[in-house]
Amino acid sequence: MMRKRMKLDTERITKSKLFWAIVAELLILLVCLIIRPDFFSISYQPSSGMLYGSLIDILNRSSEITIIAMGMMLVIATAGTDLSVGSLVAVSGALALRLMRWDLDLYPTPGDWSITPLYLVIAASLGACLLMGSFNGLLVSRWNMQPIIATLILMVAGRGIAQVITGGKQMTTMFSPFKFIAHGSFLYLPMPVIITAAVILVIYLSTRRTAFGLFIESVGVNRSASRVSGLNARRIIMTVYMISGFLAGISGLIYSSRIISNDSNNAGQGYEMDAILAVVIGGGNMAGGKFNIAGTVMGSLIIRTIITFVYYFGVAAEAIMVFKAMIIAVVIILQSEPIRRMLEKRSRMRRSIQGGALHE
Amino acid sequence: MTESVILSMQGMEISFPGVKALDRVDFTLRSGEVHALLGENGAGKSTLIKCLTGVHRMDAGRIMFDGSEISPSSPQEAMKMGISTVYQEINLCPNLTVAENIFIGRQPMKRSQIDWKEMNRRASELMERFNIHIDVTRPLDIFSTAVQQIVSIARAVDIQAKVLILDEPTSSLDENEVDRLFRVMEGLKKEGLGIIFITHFLDQVFRIADRITVLRNGQLVGTFEAGGITKLDLVTRMIGKDMDAIYNLKRPDVAKDAGKMLEADRIGITGGTVGDISLHVKEGELLGFAGLLGSGRTETAQMLFGVTRAGKGSIRKQGKTIRVRHPIDAIGQKIAFCPEDRKRDGIIGDLSVRENIMLVTQGRRGLFRPMSRQEQVQLAEKYVKLLGIMTPDIEKKVGELSGGNQQKVILARWMATDPDVLILDEPTRGIDVGAKAEIQRLMIELCGKGVSVLFISSELDEIIRCANRILIMRDGEKAAEVPGGSTTQHEILSIIAGEGVQGGVA
Repeated sequence: MMRKRMKLDTERITKSKLFWAIVAELLILLVCLIIRPDFFSISYQPSSGMLYGSLIDILNRSSEITIIAMGMMLVIATAGTDLSVGSLVAVSGALALRLMRWDLDLYPTPGDWSITPLYLVIAASLGACLLMGSFNGLLVSRWNMQPIIATLILMVAGRGIAQVITGGKQMTTMFSPFKFIAHGSFLYLPMPVIITAAVILVIYLSTRRTAFGLFIESVGVNRSASRVSGLNARRIIMTVYMISGFLAGISGLIYSSRIISNDSNNAGQGYEMDAILAVVIGGGNMAGGKFNIAGTVMGSLIIRTIITFVYYFGVAAEAIMVFKAMIIAVVIILQSEPIRRMLEKRSRMRRSIQGGALHE
Repeated sequence: MTESVILSMQGMEISFPGVKALDRVDFTLRSGEVHALLGENGAGKSTLIKCLTGVHRMDAGRIMFDGSEISPSSPQEAMKMGISTVYQEINLCPNLTVAENIFIGRQPMKRSQIDWKEMNRRASELMERFNIHIDVTRPLDIFSTAVQQIVSIARAVDIQAKVLILDEPTSSLDENEVDRLFRVMEGLKKEGLGIIFITHFLDQVFRIADRITVLRNGQLVGTFEAGGITKLDLVTRMIGKDMDAIYNLKRPDVAKDAGKMLEADRIGITGGTVGDISLHVKEGELLGFAGLLGSGRTETAQMLFGVTRAGKGSIRKQGKTIRVRHPIDAIGQKIAFCPEDRKRDGIIGDLSVRENIMLVTQGRRGLFRPMSRQEQVQLAEKYVKLLGIMTPDIEKKVGELSGGNQQKVILARWMATDPDVLILDEPTRGIDVGAKAEIQRLMIELCGKGVSVLFISSELDEIIRCANRILIMRDGEKAAEVPGGSTTQHEILSIIAGEGVQGGVA
């Protein structure tokens, strides 16, 4: 009886995508460790009050995607997609820099100053992204547009908006409170890691400690039945797109603080795809339904680890994308239903042979 | 009769982990007969069919078809041999035309291009044969479910079938559509096809079937001539226990001083097909809704619950006028609604039994007062036990349960909210006899506790047996109101039919 129960539990664990995501992450890390024995070493630098090391770096640099993936995860759970997040990153950064520098002709040299106080810069950037998220939400929830099409509008228009905001210029700033967002530290950790952890915590609390998560999943699986069950499907869908936009705004601030400038063309380029990928690796279903916070975080870490790995491997810069795609393909295929079933069958067969119980 | 046996299965056996799904089952089919296959869910009907069509491999037994032994390894292979299946869920592409659906995968070609003219001509010829006069170049989804069903039969038959398997073809059809389908089946019968007919509707079995085979728990109960067995006898054999308890359900009378629970005054959909419905239901009363599909039964229920908005008229609950613009409003007024389309509007298939049961209760409590895991489990377990929901555990996905159990989960979801008014739209459609009886018993029990029940059903005997009062709908209007119990099926049918329109069941 006892044994049966234990077997059941291990089966459940090996069936979960989170398990395979962790396995994949550990495998990649292991290869990194073999190539570079000092890969796991972490050192403390008193001058910046921060820990340094490859692992910290992976956490730090995965922040932008992880934050966006949290929003994407909720959108995907409602059977939608938000393609606009990458462009919103650019808008958020452009607006922040514009508010700090205002006019390059009037104030031509960057320095440790800002026209607008930091809290207003942050509020405006996040507010703008929230508004654009609402626009997406409105199109999808009220006018029943297909999510991909609805969010494609801002995906395309967003970069244009960013260009308009900055007058097509690239601005740089040395404003130290703004620099702190990406370069500062707290509790020995880089600020982006702290911000990401806070975002994950808030998402966890607001979805799993309230009924919001269940409602999202319910609407994602069957919108019509959810409505009949008394859920306000429209409002729920609206909310997840707003969250997604808002989080893209946070991600944009981190990104622009990291490069201490705005870059309307390249900021957040391809983030929407990385975020979708993170969600899928984490066990999300594009058709809507269950979402998994830990899995999605794992997915984002995998993506970042692969990039780090590729650098260490010494792959030529041109080939990086191909390499990344290859590894991701392997991860996704390993997680796919038929392959997992095959692996399971094999291990079961091996087990029964080992136990001498061929005639079960 | 010396009809030739086209198909015979002998000693069919198959086991799944932990269950013997089929245990030495024999089955023969003659050409030119309709052979009904009956049994409760899990009796082995589908398994038998799946062995025949090569979905499952049987452990023992042999299949003789058209004089030789066969062992198809896939439905495609079975189809090539001449065994075609039409499943309960229509397996067609709604966005393609009728002709495309019939010829998909085997389009007539001319100079290595699809010969559209020829395809459309042959498709409309085929549909004519079934007495269906439609434009075959229109997309399938504009036609009724019955026509779609017949299109899938046409497709199956056109592939030179000798045996046609119909798995619950009538479960989403109304009386007229069933008649249409049966005429098609009669025609095919004359052409010498052997038809295996799986259904839950016993009336239909007696109308069309020549022979009946009953399975129970994977074993053969027997094969009977349709003329030589009574309905009661048949049901008793299917569920293996006496049906008297179910047929003698005691319907409680409405208390004399019972107040009006819910009233609707001339409600209707603006610009819609339904207008001017007035009705009331008393405390503890079971009000039946009879009428054909499309007569406005469902629309009325949906208006009462706010799924569609009533553009005119007013709704009162316990004397007070209420506004019902969204299901949320109705739920707030302690009204509950089990919708007609279980898959589309009822179950949240990918969520667990527990989540499905707690959903409405949680919705009423709101976002910020989540039920604890323990409360959820308690609630779910209570109703799983109370309604006898057959599930291995409460974390099972609802989508993986049988139809009857899914219906019970939806019922549980609403009973958990402790409603004053319960609206049930076709709650017993497509579920087996046992589950059906249990749902009827539950309804009546709820009435006894003072809940007002509005019960919509296409099965008249069920309505007559259960309802205190029956409201009959016709063409989007209320046609009549008759007392339950004493009214006969014939009386109701003649009201449904109205003048000059042909009736349903004889």
